[in-house]
Amino acid sequence: MNKLIEELKVKLIDILNLQDVKPEDFDENGQLVGGELGIDSIDVLEMAVMVEKDYGIIINNQELGEKVFFSLSNLAEHITKNSSRVSS
Amino acid sequence: MTDKPVYIGGVGIISPLGSGIAKTEKILRQNRSTIEPLELFSLLQGSPLPVGQVHGLDEQSPLPRTHRLAHIAATQAMEGCIRPPDAIIFGTTTGGILTTEQLLRANEHKKELYRYHGLNTVVSYIARELNCTGPALTVSTACSSGAVAIGMALKMLRRGQVETVLAGGVDSLSRLTYFGFHSLQLVDRAGCKPLDQNRQGMVVAEGAGMLLLTTVKPKNHHGLLLGAGFSCDAYHPAAPHPEGQGAFTAMQTALTDGGLTPDDIGYINLHGTGTPDNDLAESKAIHRLFTNLPPLSSIKGASGHSLAAAGAIEAVVSTITVSHDLMPANTGLEKVDPVLGFTPLINPSERSTNAVLSNSFGFGGNNGALVIGKAGIFPQPVVRQPCRGLAIHGYSCLAGAGDTAAAIDRMQNGVSVAGRAAADVISKNLPPRLIRRLKRLPRMTLSLAAGAHENSQFDNQNPGAVFMGTGWGALSETHDFLSRLTDSKEQFPSPTDFVGSVHNGPASQVAIMFGSTGPNITTSGGDYSFEQALFAAELMLDDPAGAALIIGADEGHDAFSPLFDPSVRAGSTLADGGAAFSVSRSTVGAKCSISIPFFKSGKGDGVVAALIDSLGGDISLQNSCALVLAGIPAAGRREGELQLEQFMTQSKLSVPVVHYRRLTGEFASASAVATALAVSFIETGGIPGAVTGKRDIVIDNRINKILVLGLGQYITVLEISRL
Repeated sequence: MNKLIEELKVKLIDILNLQDVKPEDFDENGQLVGGELGIDSIDVLEMAVMVEKDYGIIINNQELGEKVFFSLSNLAEHITKNSSRVSS
Repeated sequence: MTDKPVYIGGVGIISPLGSGIAKTEKILRQNRSTIEPLELFSLLQGSPLPVGQVHGLDEQSPLPRTHRLAHIAATQAMEGCIRPPDAIIFGTTTGGILTTEQLLRANEHKKELYRYHGLNTVVSYIARELNCTGPALTVSTACSSGAVAIGMALKMLRRGQVETVLAGGVDSLSRLTYFGFHSLQLVDRAGCKPLDQNRQGMVVAEGAGMLLLTTVKPKNHHGLLLGAGFSCDAYHPAAPHPEGQGAFTAMQTALTDGGLTPDDIGYINLHGTGTPDNDLAESKAIHRLFTNLPPLSSIKGASGHSLAAAGAIEAVVSTITVSHDLMPANTGLEKVDPVLGFTPLINPSERSTNAVLSNSFGFGGNNGALVIGKAGIFPQPVVRQPCRGLAIHGYSCLAGAGDTAAAIDRMQNGVSVAGRAAADVISKNLPPRLIRRLKRLPRMTLSLAAGAHENSQFDNQNPGAVFMGTGWGALSETHDFLSRLTDSKEQFPSPTDFVGSVHNGPASQVAIMFGSTGPNITTSGGDYSFEQALFAAELMLDDPAGAALIIGADEGHDAFSPLFDPSVRAGSTLADGGAAFSVSRSTVGAKCSISIPFFKSGKGDGVVAALIDSLGGDISLQNSCALVLAGIPAAGRREGELQLEQFMTQSKLSVPVVHYRRLTGEFASASAVATALAVSFIETGGIPGAVTGKRDIVIDNRINKILVLGLGQYITVLEISRL
């Protein structure tokens, strides 16, 4: 799980082009969307594409998206539970 | 300036509902949805999403689908008219993109095949077909484009210099919009049901709607265009303001513009896309404006959302409402969403109404509202249509050589600044978080806007309106969207690139940066895009105290610029850049004034004589003009040089002529950089001999103006004058 969270931090910095953010700046339990990092609804969609592409999990409704992308640890947990590509 | 009513003398419509007003009316009376699974192009995987598509187009035509749709609607609107319209204004977001997508997939590199890619080629094609030699303008404000084009036509007619304008909107289906809206998870797989409790989104569609507007009372007409309102949410690149603030302002402004009160409105044709956010925001705006709600509905459950065409198609439907007593039903509705606080028309209504309000809202929070009504009911309002000319208070520019200081210094010494500005220059002083999702064009635009504002004395007053001209829009985002779509076998299109690819993306970013909630207009007229932005600003900046920004910018893109821009040769060094101007109606503290007295086709009879006339005649020109900055795009060299020679001969001007593209390089909005150079001359009081190869010229009370001439396909002139 921790390994996955670290992996996700690097991926988010890359796909969301968070140039001034380092992996250690993320609070894995903190609010991911609408929080300090300025991540918004378009980023959520970009993250959903990444989750589908890299982990084979489809997130295509708002309700689920809100839960999954609430925090990095939620996201990691959802991926761990649902993906066959990650070993927990 | 005229206080005559603006009649709707002709209408044209082609949409999934059918071609022509009779078929459209029939389907609307049947309350039937025409939404069906996509057939127009094949998909690499998955089942087709529902769309609204037009059937029966001539598939043998070499023209892109958008052009063909426009032609059908224009022909209908012009039926029975012998005289060409004095001007044409279209709203479009797709241009020839569907054809371009196919060519790119076929790995086709022949430039000739991409000649109809540009948004401006739609209006140029129709102008040619109709023999219209007047202004042919293109606005691209996403899903409000059609309504904004019609509203701009109203302003033009009120100014009194034209009597007839063909105005409307057109878009075809394309992979860009089909996969783009899908990537935003905004498409309802079960079809579209606006205002429904279980609405899941929109359905992308295509079509064209056109109005022939005239101040000369026709024998038969379809009602009056009474008013128009424009606004910007200045909130988010893709999501509407949650309280519908911009929607409210657009509707309220349209009513005021027409001299009407909310109680005069008998029916509202909603934007009603079917996305949860849009319908909720629109409902809040309506409750705020209307105490007594009139009947209302969205037709998008029947037709889908035809993007730039939607506002124009719904304007045509509004003429059916006022002239044929038909209020369409909210097709597709199963269970109304109680949160919205109103129930739309479940069935079509045959009630008569005097006035209809039609809403259109788009990406970038770009809003337009139109009021269409019966003739002879409402007193004609006295509209103060603003006069010509704006005062320039600040400016900035970007070129290959660098920022304003670097570029102006070199150009003042007659040295070329052509090239592509370095990445750090175009992002200078812009916070990393603000621009992390933005590629080249929006970064250039924000940097130019910030520079022009900083250069003005408007310390405590942000610009309220934004006018942006761009020949090609955000090429990097468009390219990257289509590449990722193809590379991922249509599986992972980028939502970020799709939002960034819309032509009005950069101007909406400027609005967000400054909180500019007034009109936000992006024009895309090829090599005359900046001129069109200035044209729009002169028409629409009606707040006497308000400040605005006028921007012209284009990016040079390795793959796309040599394919799309007729003046960019394959293998040549790319150039890009632009300029921005902080303007207002007030000359207090201003550097100089600017106006655009002339915009016509370069092929019309006596066009050069008319150009000289628009500048006050040859004697006046000889007595006041210091310099001509001539813009001849490489693709129109022969034509442009001939026009320039005729202009200099007929005006008997003996001032130096500088071919500014030799300094700026070839790109669509090079004229914006030339205008910045002209402003710098006026500001410093003279033109150094190094620029002209002749002696220095002093700019004083008498010799006080510089002309920026646009030549080739169109002839345009910008007059920059000392105050």
